[in-house]
Amino acid sequence: MDLLSNLALGFSTAMSLQNLGLAFIGCLVGTLIGILPGVGPIATITMLLPITFGIDPVGALIMLAGIYYGAQYGGSTSAILVNIPGEAGSVVTALDGHAMAKKGRAGAALGISAIGSFIAGCVATVVIAALALPLTDLALRFGPTDYFALMVMGLVFAVVLAHGSVLKAVAMICLGILLSTIGSDLETGQARMTFGSLHLADGIDFAVLAMGIFGFAEVLRNLEGGEQRDVIKGTMGPLLPTRDEIRRSIAPILRGTGLGSVLGMLPGNGAVLAPFASYTLEKKLAKRPQDFGKGAIEAVAGPEAANNAGAQTSFIPLLTLGIPPNAVMAIMVGAMMIQGIVPGPQVMTESPTLFWGMIASMWIGNLMLLVINLPMVGMWVRLLKVPYRLLFPAILIFSCIGIYSIDNNPMDVVFTGAFAFAGYLLIKMGFEPAPLLLGFVLGHLIEENLRRAMLLSRGELSTFAENPVSLILLIVSVGLLALSALPSLRAKREKVFVED
Amino acid sequence: MTEKPSSVAGLGKVRLSQDRVAGLTLIAVSAFALWASSDLETGTLRFIGPGMMPKLLAALVGVTGTILLVQSFLMSGEAMPRIPLRGPLCVLGGILAFALTVQSVGFAIAAPLLAVIAGLADRDMRWIELLGFAAFMTIGCILVFKVGLSLPIPVLIIPGIIQY
Repeated sequence: MDLLSNLALGFSTAMSLQNLGLAFIGCLVGTLIGILPGVGPIATITMLLPITFGIDPVGALIMLAGIYYGAQYGGSTSAILVNIPGEAGSVVTALDGHAMAKKGRAGAALGISAIGSFIAGCVATVVIAALALPLTDLALRFGPTDYFALMVMGLVFAVVLAHGSVLKAVAMICLGILLSTIGSDLETGQARMTFGSLHLADGIDFAVLAMGIFGFAEVLRNLEGGEQRDVIKGTMGPLLPTRDEIRRSIAPILRGTGLGSVLGMLPGNGAVLAPFASYTLEKKLAKRPQDFGKGAIEAVAGPEAANNAGAQTSFIPLLTLGIPPNAVMAIMVGAMMIQGIVPGPQVMTESPTLFWGMIASMWIGNLMLLVINLPMVGMWVRLLKVPYRLLFPAILIFSCIGIYSIDNNPMDVVFTGAFAFAGYLLIKMGFEPAPLLLGFVLGHLIEENLRRAMLLSRGELSTFAENPVSLILLIVSVGLLALSALPSLRAKREKVFVED
Repeated sequence: MTEKPSSVAGLGKVRLSQDRVAGLTLIAVSAFALWASSDLETGTLRFIGPGMMPKLLAALVGVTGTILLVQSFLMSGEAMPRIPLRGPLCVLGGILAFALTVQSVGFAIAAPLLAVIAGLADRDMRWIELLGFAAFMTIGCILVFKVGLSLPIPVLIIPGIIQY
């Protein structure tokens, strides 16, 4: 069978001593940074991006995937132990996870979240491997018209699923694409909006923008808050859940995995909905729904599994279509580009070892998290107690040297600072930085495909309507956008995000 | 630093709408981008020139900004939150100092400098603790980036004496 031989190739790549080591280091440092309160997965990955520069592409991506899982795992740990969710996905975990921790069952909450995540990770890996071939085949048949429509749909999803104002999310996406047009024109080579600066001629560096508006802007925002940390004191309790707790968790984990796997594939960060959906479902099915919010293990197991499955299947659009569905995947695109790999359907055929090696390493990464991190919980708890006044200078030093080492150019560091301030002001004005980054990453592809589509159709815009695939995609986009403007749906959408 | 819910940016007690500031900012960005891309050829739909996308997007940013601005007059939204200056100034000052010194004097000086200047952002900074931690981070980063990953980062440059 094709699938099996592909997976065998993947595992033989991922199991090499070097790659195993890189996956291990990635998981470890990802958890180490991701667990710090106020540092979400996006900031973690951007901060750690520079340490992968010197490694060969396969190893670098395996390490990055490890960092990603580590950061996710770290996020749920700090959600359970400190009640500070590092990202939207662990908001739900914080509800009952932290309640369990207060009852002295922190260990069991961490344990079931790790077990649930592992099961979800295993299933999601198989889903990715199974869907990779057919989706890639489909993507290879897409013309520029279809691609353009597909990206428009992805961005519309991102708008609909973004927090807060739809209008502001649209503005951020447009601004992101606008920023991506700075630099040499793809076809004529003409300098665009560079003001004669040689530094800008290559365009804005992705890592510089991401580090500025996510990493540093987050530092600026955290500096304001008189932060209050509610680190769990006293006993953690045993890490292994009791037999009864496991029995109650199995079905939620499986349902969460299913929900997460499906939602994660949606363009525009569908993964973020997965834990909310799982929580709602479990509460409806539960025999004692009144326990939810007071430390019900089902409410930790289900959403955690959903979160992890979604986090993983969100690789599918990136690996097969080359379109990142959310900001984390946008950073993965940036990382691949730095390694000289253009994400898209051709990756699978051109470098199968990279493709399947990365998929296999996802499973290995999940296993490592389970094996390494649970015994180290004590150390993570101590890390959670490092005060922010020491944390932020450390984050700054580490990030500055990372940015400098991209090109050995101090100007990059200055630009990062400027983007940080701009990002901070944007947050103050109620804008979300994630759609901006997504627009920025997709900007080149959108422009290239639009230009090609227009050239092929001799300037007829009707080509988008005549082509069945692009027509369907565009109708879905317009429909979604119209729906999201409806007042009743708007209220529901706000309710979903009301907890963060 | 506790923020009073009523505190707003701007002059005296004038309540500044968040959407109004956001709208005006987008319009300003749009105008700037339209000006910056005015020398680029727009082309036709068939042969899209280098200027079409920048101009189109700048216009879209302007349109969203205008809608936000108009909306802010029609309905009352959230107020613009206060923007404290101390944190951003110290952090950005530290970053700038790092950028200015890393190539001429080296990372071993630039990193502690960054930590000290940025450290001013926190009123309750304990300096001995910060300096110790900065030294630890600096050595750690040298070990990771210079020794471990062998990236060409200047660590310490004293003209004529040390060049590492």
